[in-house]
Amino acid sequence: MEFYLVAISISILIYMLMASGLALQYGFTGLINFGYVGFFAIGAYTSALLSLKGVPLPLCLIAATVLPALAAYPLGKVTLRLGGDYLAIITLGFSESVRMVLQKEEWLTRGVHGIPGLPRLFTDWAGTGSGDLTLLALLLAVNVGVFAMMRYLIHSPFGRIIASIRDNEVAVRALGKDPTSFKTRSLMLGSALAGLAGAFQAHYVTFISPEQFVPLITFYVWIAIILGGAGRISGIIVGTVILLTFLEGSRFMRDFVGGVSEVQLASVRFWIIGMALILTVLYRPQGLFADKTTGAR
Amino acid sequence: MEFVPIANAAINGAVVGLLLALPALAVTLVFGIARFPNAATGDYMTFGAYTAVAAQAALSAPLIVSAAAASLATALLALFFYGWVFRALASRSPVASLIVSIGIAFVVRSSITFFAGQSQYNIDAPLVRAWNFNGIRVLPTDLYIAGAALTALAAVFAMLHFTALGRRMRAVADNPELARASGISARRVMITLFTIVGLFCGLGGFLLGMKAVVIPELGWELLLPIFASVILGGIGSPLGAVCGMILFGISQEVASLYVGSSYKIVLAFLVILCVLLVRPQGMFGTIRAVR
Repeated sequence: MEFYLVAISISILIYMLMASGLALQYGFTGLINFGYVGFFAIGAYTSALLSLKGVPLPLCLIAATVLPALAAYPLGKVTLRLGGDYLAIITLGFSESVRMVLQKEEWLTRGVHGIPGLPRLFTDWAGTGSGDLTLLALLLAVNVGVFAMMRYLIHSPFGRIIASIRDNEVAVRALGKDPTSFKTRSLMLGSALAGLAGAFQAHYVTFISPEQFVPLITFYVWIAIILGGAGRISGIIVGTVILLTFLEGSRFMRDFVGGVSEVQLASVRFWIIGMALILTVLYRPQGLFADKTTGAR
Repeated sequence: MEFVPIANAAINGAVVGLLLALPALAVTLVFGIARFPNAATGDYMTFGAYTAVAAQAALSAPLIVSAAAASLATALLALFFYGWVFRALASRSPVASLIVSIGIAFVVRSSITFFAGQSQYNIDAPLVRAWNFNGIRVLPTDLYIAGAALTALAAVFAMLHFTALGRRMRAVADNPELARASGISARRVMITLFTIVGLFCGLGGFLLGMKAVVIPELGWELLLPIFASVILGGIGSPLGAVCGMILFGISQEVASLYVGSSYKIVLAFLVILCVLLVRPQGMFGTIRAVR
């Protein structure tokens, strides 16, 4: 039971890190990133491949944070001067392209077989279970750090500009600010967080394969921030906890409901995510627990 | 590489492109009139293909009846989601409709896999020999597919340009406020729009099912090539969508002779990137800087 609690907490914190990045992009800047999982994948594979080459893990994590941000730069440069819908399409194309490359370039990634045996971040030093408790503490610290950074950002001049871009881009332009550069920075920062989360995931699960990075993961994160209420830090926490409760809960659902095949269970889970997207945007655009005045779009 | 395989790939690409021009036209019309990229388009096609499979399996319906069933059922589906969701979101930011269209895509696809599973299906068509002109092969089935797609496209272009309803649709696409001020009922335009979307996606899914195996990811995997072609043609331009899709279909099939067919999505992605970099308004469109 203790082991399970630690495991689920780690999952929650990894998803929370991802949700923070997307919240920065969508909730605070209004950027629609439908390929978020692509940056998560780049982070995971960067750190995994480097660690197997013998690069020290802290350096791997740094690379996994920097590389996705660099990948986001050209995407932002090309699309962000145009309307917001273009970013949605191009990022979706980006993440699917990343997945195809991971699948096909077997010399680098072993393709669909995936890469097993990745090193863990913390080894078993106390002889009690694994290094998971230390990882949990680190993830907690990272998340708190990210929240502190976001809090600082939101109240900085940068934060006020990205918020006004979200609310009225034309006005920002009229004030002589170039929205594109601010949006690009927000996109890169959010992608960096996705990459870091990917690295944590890779070294926690110790196995990565392209099928862990399907578009559904992107929309897991989307539904988390939409349910919690995009544009609020508390929304990130609430949304992630709801999402993970649902994902974990649906794993046990099969024990209670008989006669449901694995495919059907996956379909039900997929259906619920889709339905939740529709219903939340339609009836609770400000998030499940927020009042009407914040974050409504 | 020799000429014959390239010619064969180009012919095949033209047929695929013509067929996918149906959903591409649906995407560009929704973008022009309802003003959001409809990410459910691909899964509407999948729904059409499965409806045709079901019609054949349950009623052993002839091809033409399956095609009609696929188109009509998908039209009902598209109208249902318009009435429930997109109509309510019309006054909100296009972002809301865009996110919801992803939700619809998921709901439609997962409903299909819940009942039909992950296995592959086929739409049964009579087997015919290809005509062979010195190595260049033409399948009669492909001609039927291209003919059906062309007929449907011609019908919509005629409707858009020669009927009062079509003129109203173009007016709403051009300037929604002015159209409303001139007394054009947005609801009738929207209902027509989503009927066309459903009919076209259903028919497109059916035709696609005759060329390829029917799997749950059938339409979703084509979403990016479709979007790429719409952007290539100029977003919101019906003629651009059709030309862009045919051009894209040919280049995709010819390119896959060299790089392997699994890189179709990457190709679509690169096309979007290049078009946005060089000429964001596409071949026939006008630039849309800020929504």
